[in-house]
Amino acid sequence: MKKTLRCLPLLLVALLCVCGGARRQKLYVYNWTYYMPPDVLDDFRKKFNIDLVYDVYPSNEDMFAKLKSGAKGYDIVVPSGDFVSIMIHEGMLAPIDKKRLPNFACIDTAVLRRVTFDQGNQFSVPYMMGASGIAVNKTQVARYEHSWSIFDRADLKDRMTMLDDMREVLGAALKYLGYSVNSVDTAELAKAKAVVLGWKKNIVKFDAESFAKGFASGEFRVVQGYAENIFKEYDSTRRDEVDFFIPAEGGPMYMDNLVILKNAPDKEAAYAFINYIHSPEVFARIVDYLGYPCINTAARPFLKRKPNYELADLRNCEFKEDLGEKLELYNRAWEEIRMGN
Amino acid sequence: MNRSKGGVPLFAFVVTAVFFYAPLLVLVCFSFNASRTMTWSGFSLRWYGELLFHSADLWHALGRSVIIALSSSVTATALGTLGAIGIYWYNFRFKRYISIASFLPLILPEIIMGVSLLILFAAVGLPLSLFTIFIAHVTFNLPFVVLIVSSRLDEFDYSVVEAAYDLGAREWDALVKVVLPISLPGIVAAFLIAVTLSLEDFVITFFVAGPGSTTLPLQIYSMIRFGVSPVINALSVMLLAASIALAFLGKGVYRYIFQR
Repeated sequence: MKKTLRCLPLLLVALLCVCGGARRQKLYVYNWTYYMPPDVLDDFRKKFNIDLVYDVYPSNEDMFAKLKSGAKGYDIVVPSGDFVSIMIHEGMLAPIDKKRLPNFACIDTAVLRRVTFDQGNQFSVPYMMGASGIAVNKTQVARYEHSWSIFDRADLKDRMTMLDDMREVLGAALKYLGYSVNSVDTAELAKAKAVVLGWKKNIVKFDAESFAKGFASGEFRVVQGYAENIFKEYDSTRRDEVDFFIPAEGGPMYMDNLVILKNAPDKEAAYAFINYIHSPEVFARIVDYLGYPCINTAARPFLKRKPNYELADLRNCEFKEDLGEKLELYNRAWEEIRMGN
Repeated sequence: MNRSKGGVPLFAFVVTAVFFYAPLLVLVCFSFNASRTMTWSGFSLRWYGELLFHSADLWHALGRSVIIALSSSVTATALGTLGAIGIYWYNFRFKRYISIASFLPLILPEIIMGVSLLILFAAVGLPLSLFTIFIAHVTFNLPFVVLIVSSRLDEFDYSVVEAAYDLGAREWDALVKVVLPISLPGIVAAFLIAVTLSLEDFVITFFVAGPGSTTLPLQIYSMIRFGVSPVINALSVMLLAASIALAFLGKGVYRYIFQR
């Protein structure tokens, strides 16, 4: 016991050393899980001799709560569009000086024009753009259309799932009816709710966690979901069994963006990182790893793999925007859908 | 004892064993599955390879968890043992209330503890880091240590200490040569429980973790958005093997210490 007591200060000192760390230039990045290939991060560390600390979060809400509750010290986070506008509004972001980002010019201008949450990209640099779609098991479903109406099909009853996410499901129904995914019109929302209630009769459940595993095992034949979740469950040999598409009517889409926090300790390293990510060869490696559409024009010649879907597939999609107080309309409709029948 | 009448207890034992070990068995099996789906497609060490050579983040997180578990448990055990002995040994005003107050955190919901620690750190201006996790873990481990060591102390006969005084021991001698050796099993048990609690804690750690201090439970939580990866299965099996080894080793050490 005496020995243990004597060791205690030593342990504390050791712990403090771990916390303090060496005096090398340090960069703290807080990003979604599995959103950057580890070898790209390693190359950055070597090339710039910067000690990169990389933490991950599973949702915008987790990240936002963490930052709001006082986690200081991160330089870069990667919020989706709606959270970019919230964070701009809250004064959490540092303006982006594009002169320090030569590679910003590589980003597709057609993509930049669509950015509504931060017009002119004064606070954010696009990272990835994507949407949820529908995956169909071609070995089990022979004929189908590339439309949300697939969920109306009674012959696929109890073989389909949709996401447990009100913006995604109601957004799909709104687009299916020809409205905006950000509609706050009560009549339009009521119609969308009726459509979803019709789909609900045919699907097994609303599920955002295990649908991909169920789909890969053959239990479900049609699922609404994200391509990266679905293909993560597939070995390359069986990929041909799956048709993943964005319905022709369009749907809700998102863009995740690199932003520099206002209280970032090392803005210089942050700029170096963002510029590095958008250098064409590096960005091509990331796109190959993720299978997202490539928004960096200069990177396209370096791609080795076909993405899961193309930018053109997103032409009718619309960014989900922060609806503020009006979100309550969605909450209520969603609650009625979950309860009702 | 008539051993042939063990039918019902044996049945209960089997049911309990199945209940406990069936999930672990499934986990172990699927960690050797060649495919990433839940359908069996052949034996493979693929996920172990992935875990050992391509999962630096997981290992870093595990390393942090171990550092925190060991340092916070040693600290909490030392402080908690002294506290328990203090409450047991001395008489002072409000002793009863103080001992009750020291158990309160046991029944306090973790989420309240997490939030209150977070507010405290924010108020003091301590930046969130591995160090704040260390403080938080010491805090929630303390009442467990005090409780376990006290219950050991309550069992033993105080006249032994009086006998030590009669034989010329000073207070320090009585503490080091009598009370501590007697309560050692309690101290060891408290330490082991503290290590376990600290390793697995999610809620409190979630609140007080700062940049670059992701522990293993936090890391796994952030990974499940994409479904539970088979790499996690492989890691779980390795941790399981390590704990079983420790349990057997611990048994040996325990015998060595107490049954010489």
